[in-house]
Amino acid sequence: MSSVPGLQADCEELLGAFQDADTVRFERFAELWRERRFHAIFYGRIRALERNKLTKKTLELAQQYFLPPYAFQIRVGALYLLYGLYSTQLCQPKQKIRVALKDWPEITKFHRDLIDSQHYDAAYVFRTLRLARAFHFTAMPKLLNYRTKKKIQENEFKEEFKDPSNRVNTLITNDVLEELINIHDHYQKMKCVISADKSQPDKALSLIKDEFVITLKDITLEHQEWQQNRMKLFLNVKDTDEISSKKEERTLLESEGSERANALARIKYRSYSAVVEAPKSRRHRQVKLESSESGLNYGKSPSRSKRNDRRPQPARR
Amino acid sequence: SIDTLISSDKEKDPDVIPEDSSLLTLRIRKKALERREETIIVDRACRQETLAYEMESHAIGKRPDNPTDLVEEGELLLTLNIFYPVIFQKHKDHKPYQTVLVLGSQKLTELRDSISCVSDLQIGGEFSNQPDQAPEHISKDLYKSAFFYFEGIFYNDKRYPECRDLSRTIIEWSESHDRGYGNLQSVKMEDYTFNDLSLKIGFPYLFCHQGNCEHIVIITDIRLIHHDDCLDRNLYPLLVKKHWLCTRKCFVCKMYTARWVTNNDSLAPEDPCFFCDTCFRMLHYDAEGNKLGEFLAYPYVDPGIFN
Repeated sequence: MSSVPGLQADCEELLGAFQDADTVRFERFAELWRERRFHAIFYGRIRALERNKLTKKTLELAQQYFLPPYAFQIRVGALYLLYGLYSTQLCQPKQKIRVALKDWPEITKFHRDLIDSQHYDAAYVFRTLRLARAFHFTAMPKLLNYRTKKKIQENEFKEEFKDPSNRVNTLITNDVLEELINIHDHYQKMKCVISADKSQPDKALSLIKDEFVITLKDITLEHQEWQQNRMKLFLNVKDTDEISSKKEERTLLESEGSERANALARIKYRSYSAVVEAPKSRRHRQVKLESSESGLNYGKSPSRSKRNDRRPQPARR
Repeated sequence: SIDTLISSDKEKDPDVIPEDSSLLTLRIRKKALERREETIIVDRACRQETLAYEMESHAIGKRPDNPTDLVEEGELLLTLNIFYPVIFQKHKDHKPYQTVLVLGSQKLTELRDSISCVSDLQIGGEFSNQPDQAPEHISKDLYKSAFFYFEGIFYNDKRYPECRDLSRTIIEWSESHDRGYGNLQSVKMEDYTFNDLSLKIGFPYLFCHQGNCEHIVIITDIRLIHHDDCLDRNLYPLLVKKHWLCTRKCFVCKMYTARWVTNNDSLAPEDPCFFCDTCFRMLHYDAEGNKLGEFLAYPYVDPGIFN
């Protein structure tokens, strides 16, 4: 489906302003909406058939911001945006918001989070939409359309809207830690049972660090803090206008992340650039160096293939 | 209340784009509108657009007279695209299709009956010598077999004794050598509803009738039935979108749709040549009904007949 021109920019601008306002209150959102007179987005003398299609595409675009991986504030903003667009659309009967089956549990979870954190205005907005029968419950999120697209449009959504993806945290959740503690205790008890002294496990059986679960938790917390600091630094760098300080901070940021990568690349280059020259009997099969700087073969040894990016020419005798 | 916070303060005309809008969408749209005003003389919906819109929305909100025909809550609604079998050159990029809505609890045979294909109406046989006897049996009555192919199973129409198992050839072919197709089965179409099938969305399936007329069937959407949909069971399968095919007009009068096609006609300027009924008789037969000249004539059914 070809997208509505300019719509993504407008939505992102509104959601960005909402994010900067740093609140989830509906009154704030309504102010921003009225400033921009967003309800006029459907104006312009559009005939009925075209209007249906346009409204469907608008709601579909706004709905994408409502789901993870977007940050909590963006999702609340998207909910308000959907409410606004749904109420101000000019189609009769109203076009509905598509909700896929797989997304529904997340949406209900989101709704419960809203109620738990006492954002009652957002919860009320959601409830109003449901009562107004604004949702189509579908199997798939996007309605299929069969036009051959000349180029597949990649929807690039702003990075800042996304929650920083914390993979370490998703792996080591509280549940996992609890379970680990339980298993650890159980393990200690088993060791006590089979050893001679019933109150203490045998010295020969102490194979792991006893405190490892707590250490794991500390490490993950540290990682999360580091990531948040990094994000803040990154955002600050984008805002400041001074060139010199920006350069410094940016190099600082870059080197922090890619320092290790650069060091590794340097070591690899040095070790692999010294090409062993083949003996005279195999002159026709000189060794060719393949550079792994493209990053694809990172970690693997450079293969002796014909393709090469940079190869120091071995001197032929 | 919350609603009043959003709606406009002053009543504005939805047709006019506000002058000082900060929205990019509106600015772009305004430019397009201005361009349209310059180039188009009469800016009005053409009849194809009206027809398309009517088709899409004519059944919205309908309720049946008989309460037993009411579609229940929790019913599934499938959207199918059924493609036309024509392979014209101009259809290379996007094949024309019709869109049908079916309920999950409906049988496959109901969908089969609702598919209107021009090949069903063909009349076989050469009728130059007896033009008055032409429309006797249409192919729909003669060749009643058909099958659907979903996920490795052929659903054959076996309601009438004349129906044959068209899929048998395919199953035998695939079993004769190890061609890499899994177990292909053949069952009766009338025993199954859409709820019993397991389907992939967007995957092309097949509907074959008349022995060799094949339509591709693609399921584009499955969703729960909604309060605003048409809730009259008798109206399903519901046609919501159809491709408009231009009908071929008579060569002589250029007004009426062609009903006859002639080959090897000494009286016609081209081969094949299309005629409407009146012009055909006036040109090829004299007042007593004797055949003039040499020709072969076949009844012709235009693909645009369902417009």
